[in-house]
Amino acid sequence: MDTKHAKLERHSMAFATAILFVASLGGLFEIAPLFTIENTVEKVDGIRPYTPLELAGFDIYVREGCYACHSQMIRTLKSDVDRYGPYSLAAESMYDHPHQWGSKRTGPDLARIGGKYSDDWHVAHLSAPRAVVEGSVMPGYAFLSDVSLDTARLPSSLIALSRTGVPYTDIQIENAQLDASYQGDQDADYEDDLIERYGPNVQVRDFDGNPDRLTEMDALVAYLQMLGTLVDFDTLNHEEIAR
Amino acid sequence: MTPERDEVSGELTTGHEWNGIKELNTPIPKVFRIWLWGSIAICVVYWLLYPAWPFVSDYTKGVLGYSSRLDVQEKVADGRAFRAESFAPFETTDVTTLSEDPDLQARYEPAAQVLYRDNCSVCHGRDLQGQESFPNLTDGHWLWSSTPEEIEYTLQVGINTTHQDTRYAEMPAFGRDEMLAAAEISDVTDYVLQISGQPHDATAAARGEDLFAENCSGCHNDGGVGGLESGAPSLTDEAWIYGKGPDAILETLKNGRAGVMPSWSTRLSPAEIKLLTLYVLWAGEGDAKQ
Repeated sequence: MDTKHAKLERHSMAFATAILFVASLGGLFEIAPLFTIENTVEKVDGIRPYTPLELAGFDIYVREGCYACHSQMIRTLKSDVDRYGPYSLAAESMYDHPHQWGSKRTGPDLARIGGKYSDDWHVAHLSAPRAVVEGSVMPGYAFLSDVSLDTARLPSSLIALSRTGVPYTDIQIENAQLDASYQGDQDADYEDDLIERYGPNVQVRDFDGNPDRLTEMDALVAYLQMLGTLVDFDTLNHEEIAR
Repeated sequence: MTPERDEVSGELTTGHEWNGIKELNTPIPKVFRIWLWGSIAICVVYWLLYPAWPFVSDYTKGVLGYSSRLDVQEKVADGRAFRAESFAPFETTDVTTLSEDPDLQARYEPAAQVLYRDNCSVCHGRDLQGQESFPNLTDGHWLWSSTPEEIEYTLQVGINTTHQDTRYAEMPAFGRDEMLAAAEISDVTDYVLQISGQPHDATAAARGEDLFAENCSGCHNDGGVGGLESGAPSLTDEAWIYGKGPDAILETLKNGRAGVMPSWSTRLSPAEIKLLTLYVLWAGEGDAKQ
């Protein structure tokens, strides 16, 4: 028998260390370089952090486990691009903590769902999926319309995210509650403030069809309606972001 | 405890012994080893051809210059070119001329149906009959005219969307925004019930008639026949987007409506939009009523 192997096998600590070393090679070569390679995340125009209302919607999306059945990852496959639109960019999920790429499509991919259907449809569909889509197996989320959105925790959410590297400014953190309340109210005359803080891609309106109240439905629909809408793919240079 | 040769099999033992039991150290079959080293050799070829080894700030690009993103762009473009060939009339001809060609339906309806079901059916239904909040596309009642160009335009820019040329139609919230008092809204409701031939209170409807002329006829026209230029539906027929009956009408008057038809010009190609326009026309009863 090979004596080196025999020696290794007979020294448990050395053997464990050797296993750890071999097992970490995959991470060392496949994961670690992504943090240092310069073009891992493309530099594209239009990407911004979520507005507080969208972030609240994102949190509801995570809370309800939407990722278990819906991916947000249009792969570089012809069938994916044909069906869902331009392939997903790393930049599009750079502010997601955690990312919602998902790995299973019981329902369709949602990476470019924003603007595809109307708010009314989203509300009707989330409330009673089978009322609008025959044969759907999605659970209903009608209660979202009855639950007022808790905006009090949003400033701390923004602070937490800013510590992970999402570039929220102090002004954005300070105004998080107000920003969330007024993004769901087109009569508040607050659109300019939101655009000033978050750029021209902010959609301001009553998302859930109930203008008297800011509900979790408002937040979730606001989030769904902005998905995939930030990057202008007509002006994107695919050569530049070739991978 | 040294490996020894086993007499029966002729192989070496491992040198371990447990109560007289020894373990053979038979090497793995040669074919597996060839397979393993062959795989590693193939890996080396792949490393040279494709993007593979990472460095600190970059990675090896491979001699083929392969990019999954450019690859899919090319495949999608090929697919588009193929479709452009198969759907040649839709690439070059305008939608009105296309709508006059009786031969297109038999050939292109199946493809149009797939496109419709992928994009439109969740709101307007698989049979195009619509559902509450989403209009029936087959009943011959039109909000923005039944001509092929106008339907095509609605598909392109949508209604009440963020598209810069969007069609815009909003039913004001007469109740919530305090433009009419509760009693007045009730009267107008009765008037609308009257002109649509539903059970109503005649005295209230008479009071509502003047209110309607003052507040509603700007869009819905005199007598509530609707207006294609404003996208206001006729209130005198049997087509009701948000439901007929006093409750639905009262709700509309109180809280308003602003239904959204998404804009499809960024999601679908001009040829696909033409195809869907024809699909809607093929399915419908034409221009029976407005």
